[in-house]
Amino acid sequence: MKLLEFEAKELFKQHGIQVPRGVLISDHEEAVLNLRKVGPNVVVKAQVDVGGRGKAGGVLMADTDTAVIAARELFAREIKGVKVARVLIEERLDIQHEYYVSITIDRSTKHPVVLFADTGGVNIEETAKTNPDAIRKVSFTPLLRNIPRFLLRELIRDAPAEVGETINKLYHVFCDRDALLAEINPLVTTPQGVYAADAKLIIDDNALARQEIAVNRDLTRREREAERHGFSYVELDGSIGVIGNGAGLTMSTLDLIEHFGGKAANFLDVGGGADKDRVKYAVELVADMPDVKVIIVNLLGGITRCDEVARGIIEAGVEQPVIVRLAGTNEKEGKEILAGHGYQMLGSMDEAVKAAVEVTA
Amino acid sequence: MIYGDKDTGVIVQGATGKQGSFHINLMNEYARSVGGRGVVAGVTPGKGGREVCGVPVYDTVKEALAEHDATSSVLFVPAGAAGDSIMEGAHAGLDLIVAVTEHIPVHDAMKAIGYAETMGCTVIGPNCPGLLSPGELKLGIMPAHLSSRGHVGVVSRSGTLTYEVVDELTRAGIGQSTVVGIGGDPVIGQTFADTLARFEEDPQTKAVVLIGEVGGNLEEEGVKSTDLPIAAYIAGVTAPPNKRMGHAGAIIAGGEGDAKSKIQRLKAMGVDVASRPSEIPGIIKRLL
Repeated sequence: MKLLEFEAKELFKQHGIQVPRGVLISDHEEAVLNLRKVGPNVVVKAQVDVGGRGKAGGVLMADTDTAVIAARELFAREIKGVKVARVLIEERLDIQHEYYVSITIDRSTKHPVVLFADTGGVNIEETAKTNPDAIRKVSFTPLLRNIPRFLLRELIRDAPAEVGETINKLYHVFCDRDALLAEINPLVTTPQGVYAADAKLIIDDNALARQEIAVNRDLTRREREAERHGFSYVELDGSIGVIGNGAGLTMSTLDLIEHFGGKAANFLDVGGGADKDRVKYAVELVADMPDVKVIIVNLLGGITRCDEVARGIIEAGVEQPVIVRLAGTNEKEGKEILAGHGYQMLGSMDEAVKAAVEVTA
Repeated sequence: MIYGDKDTGVIVQGATGKQGSFHINLMNEYARSVGGRGVVAGVTPGKGGREVCGVPVYDTVKEALAEHDATSSVLFVPAGAAGDSIMEGAHAGLDLIVAVTEHIPVHDAMKAIGYAETMGCTVIGPNCPGLLSPGELKLGIMPAHLSSRGHVGVVSRSGTLTYEVVDELTRAGIGQSTVVGIGGDPVIGQTFADTLARFEEDPQTKAVVLIGEVGGNLEEEGVKSTDLPIAAYIAGVTAPPNKRMGHAGAIIAGGEGDAKSKIQRLKAMGVDVASRPSEIPGIIKRLL
């Protein structure tokens, strides 16, 4: 789950990283009350989860006289379609230099990897394309508590030592907060020291509980409902509902739908060992989306009992036609049960997907 | 055979849970049918002295290894404790740990796999179905009835998609040497390159089916590392792109990772890429 800037900065602060003085407000009236705490020149920043927020008009420069107007403007605005519910007013820093730093996981080496650039700011992705050598990269064993000093020196070269210390603190945030990504862009030097001017933190969804995060905000209502039942569920813009078991088989079913000229409306991965009630619930959830004209159930595995699955589909009894491809234990019984209630059960994935696409054609 | 054979002694970590006990039964049924040793002991902290499915249970891997001759474990420990259990197994001297558990926090997986490496222990998974060498050894949860013995290796990041492909191969009369599910998580122990290196050393394996997914470039690295003929299938051509990784993801990936460009790169390396699973047996027949 992605944290908002002010949430990430709060965690950075707890790990000793300097962040600008700021106040979080939820309407412009509060701005009037709090401005004095922040100081004459401020940056007014919409707290929305969109990339390229600055370029989209979500960050405004202001002073004591104009800050309230700026805040009012942001509350009235949508940034890339997202309504602004909270605004962070921060002191404007006396910036000497901007750097870029991020820490993530390198899948090939299975190690943490730190990326650093002497030129931070909004154009970092452009830099990555046009001048990739400007971005330096180090990775090291995850068994260490600190980034080795020689690697920090290799990474930051001529930048002040305090920049290296801040990067090491960011590594502590990365480890202790179960982050998939910890990023500061820009990391700035000022006469008062080194600051994280912006902050980005993505927490591993598998670690939300131990990070004491109760609700995963990145999910929609149906997605959250699905997650509560241990399904993974995603909405798309076609008309075929897809139920599969396992991410790979489910994805492959989507690919096959496109291969035969159809489009999926959503997909749900029921995971392992689907019993009657889980199948029933999965079918109901997928059918709940108004765009769904036909549902394909593609389940395969050793522990999946086909008779259970068949009963679940029948109990759900949704309006849309359900096309079934099942392979597993009690395959024959499952087929008989389904046939008795007028459902089609097909022998292969290709046949089942073709049949579903024909319904929507 | 890669990773093990009939004589491999197996421990199950997380033996007394629902999944653990269910699969001890299935693994031992399979071992009996092929004349193998199968699961010789289980481990669950606090449950030592019991028995599950006819197998003695110990509190620690160390205690189990003191009483039984085993080199491998299959791990069903719940996600929160699984990282620690991998380290316990590696520390006690196991050669191979197959981590079936899903939803392990990625930092735990990274540390546990890193630690296992320093102890000389091989980890398959996490979030994987394990491996099956037809006629020899089953470590994990793969349905054995779909497979048949032969000369094609299968290595895959996805569980059920592997069963799909194995089923297609068997129906087409193509047997498998070993089928390995390496797991779908961002950090996994054995990668495509590691498993392909084992297939290359294995006289029984004449060709390999590689089943990949969107994300990363482990597939390309694997292909680069071997001379074996490969039929590949990549799932996720139509998957919605995951934009959540922001700058670092884009910089690291640098345009790599999505299924379409991955397929292009594999084809450029001379790999036969199937556009759907049912095409795989045809490609393999041409390659053999």
